[in-house]
Amino acid sequence: MSVLASPEYGWWKPFPRHEKIWLWMAVAAAVLLSVITIGWLFIGKQNVPVASYNATPEQFEQQVTAFTTKYQIQGSPGEVRVPPGQDAYLLGQMWSWGPVLHLKVGEPYTIWMSSKDVIHGFSLAGQNFNLTAAPGHAYGVRITPEQPGTYLIFCNEYCGLGHQAMTGKIIVEP
Amino acid sequence: MAVAERAVAGRTAQNYESEYRKDTLLGLKIHLPAQALFLANAVAAVLALALAGGFAFFMGFTRVPAIGIFSQNADAFGRVFTGHGVSALILWPIFFEVAALIFTSTILLGARIWSKKAGWLSFGLMVAGAVLLMVSTLNGSANVGFTAYVPMIASPFFYLGYVLFATGALIAVVNFALTLAQARADGLLKGTLPLLTYGAATAAILATVAIACGLVALVPTLLWTAGVFPSVDPIFYRTWFWGLGHTLQYVNVTAMIVAWYALGALTFKAAPINEKYTRVAFTLYIFFTVPVLGHHFLVDPSLSPAVKIFGGSLMGFGLGIPSLMHGLAILGSIEIAGRKAGATGLFGWLKKVPWKEPGMAALMVSMSLFAIGGWSGTVGTTLQLNMVSHNNMWVASHLHGVVVGGTTLAFMGLSYYLVPLVAGRQLFSRKMAQIQPYLYGVGLFIMMMTMNWAGFLGVPRRTPDISFGGLAPDWNLPMNIMGIGIALAILGGIFYVLNMVLTLRHGKKLA
Repeated sequence: MSVLASPEYGWWKPFPRHEKIWLWMAVAAAVLLSVITIGWLFIGKQNVPVASYNATPEQFEQQVTAFTTKYQIQGSPGEVRVPPGQDAYLLGQMWSWGPVLHLKVGEPYTIWMSSKDVIHGFSLAGQNFNLTAAPGHAYGVRITPEQPGTYLIFCNEYCGLGHQAMTGKIIVEP
Repeated sequence: MAVAERAVAGRTAQNYESEYRKDTLLGLKIHLPAQALFLANAVAAVLALALAGGFAFFMGFTRVPAIGIFSQNADAFGRVFTGHGVSALILWPIFFEVAALIFTSTILLGARIWSKKAGWLSFGLMVAGAVLLMVSTLNGSANVGFTAYVPMIASPFFYLGYVLFATGALIAVVNFALTLAQARADGLLKGTLPLLTYGAATAAILATVAIACGLVALVPTLLWTAGVFPSVDPIFYRTWFWGLGHTLQYVNVTAMIVAWYALGALTFKAAPINEKYTRVAFTLYIFFTVPVLGHHFLVDPSLSPAVKIFGGSLMGFGLGIPSLMHGLAILGSIEIAGRKAGATGLFGWLKKVPWKEPGMAALMVSMSLFAIGGWSGTVGTTLQLNMVSHNNMWVASHLHGVVVGGTTLAFMGLSYYLVPLVAGRQLFSRKMAQIQPYLYGVGLFIMMMTMNWAGFLGVPRRTPDISFGGLAPDWNLPMNIMGIGIALAILGGIFYVLNMVLTLRHGKKLA
């Protein structure tokens, strides 16, 4: 019998014992991983955000502008101090993330993000935290900063010639 | 019925006998028009791989911060990384798979190809598509990556290249199916298909799904760039594009497993332990593959968590099952062959394995690297861990493990046997072929491990410069060590391409 020719009549035989055991081990691994993935939605802390809404790039940019003008820090244009309890907005565009958000340690925030032009990626350096920002879709992530410091946002989705320079900042104040 | 079939077979055998030659290596009857088509596609595949390797050199050594060829030249980087993706993920595997479809439906069965014209039409369209893709990439009018996410825009010729290439591949799949039907009518195919042809048919079914999805994504995009459509929704494009992109990777996987079984049989006379087990495993790929495109959208703002978990995660875990089944079936068949050769003890059969046979070396290294790549992919397909690994070097490690270490190396190993067989020439250098899988494998192993390490630190993929103006964390070390792996893998790639070209041009003619 060879893989190069058709098998002889009667090849449809029951699985041998070892192969059967191995198959059940593979099924058990898949089931275990499935249970952990679903279970972690309920008991784990780190889950993919579920909140999103549709907003055209123009609508979302208006929301970001309104938010930026309202909470802008005196003397530092493009920087925003977000009061606890207030939703924050981040706009990705070729090739920057803005505005710079000032958050307070230990306070929960919802950050809404979207893109003005092409698909961008949201990455928080050193935190291994990655999301996709697509034009037309706003994505809301709930975070509670734990450590004060300056965090680099960079784009992880190739978005053109300025991709490697597309950054932003989140500043967590004590 | 049987009489009628015999009558048809008798008539065709007479009419077409002059179109065959007898091969001296395996004693197969080779249909000459099929031979010409096989060689055309194989040569195109090797050329595409050479291009992919050339792009890999520039892309890889841009990503090594200590060298950084194009780290300050975003335009050049855009060209080479787009070119690398297109040639390594689309052109090379599909040209090779079309050659494999021709081999398993004609030469293996002693059958003739259904339509020479359709075969050459398919090849012509694929070459035209490949040329358009490569020219628009190299002249800088398609700096969008091989994924070309809308609304980033490339020259219409780039999308036209994709559409022509996909159409050509679809014609090859139809020709494959009709060739099998004709072989059955000719009486050359009795009972079920040989395992290699069965696996190839699985790949052909998946390829049909992939190409259909690809046309849904790319035709509207082509019309958009040509000014006919006002816009294409980015999420619509992304979804259908991965219907192509992801399903295509499982065309590669099934074709790779066909190559694994063929290599076991050709180098060690390994026979499957249980035909049913193997065939069930192939069939499971068809059921599990398509929904798994969802794992590309795990951190997208589009689909609901239920869809993401079902399609992206759960089906992804299920997709591991057939791969594990094949892994056991192939290693088991090698163990049995080793014991038949006189091995004793628990691991004695490992000593009987012909490690110096190029095909066996390619098989063993390919299986090991595919296992590592499959593991890191399973990690990435978990909903929560995808947030950690999405679009960073972890993904690069996964796809190099499965597509390069797994598929590409298996195809290389198989071509050491099929190309001499079909071209009627001896392999130019057996020594080079013996070293090549190990050299390539070690290089890739170093690349994959350093990419995992870099992914763990959060280094993004597809980025020419990872310093972000000095703001980035200290993450250059693994990216620098990766350079050693890239150098070895490229050397291994050169060994392969050189050996193939020299075999076709200067290999000693077989009697």
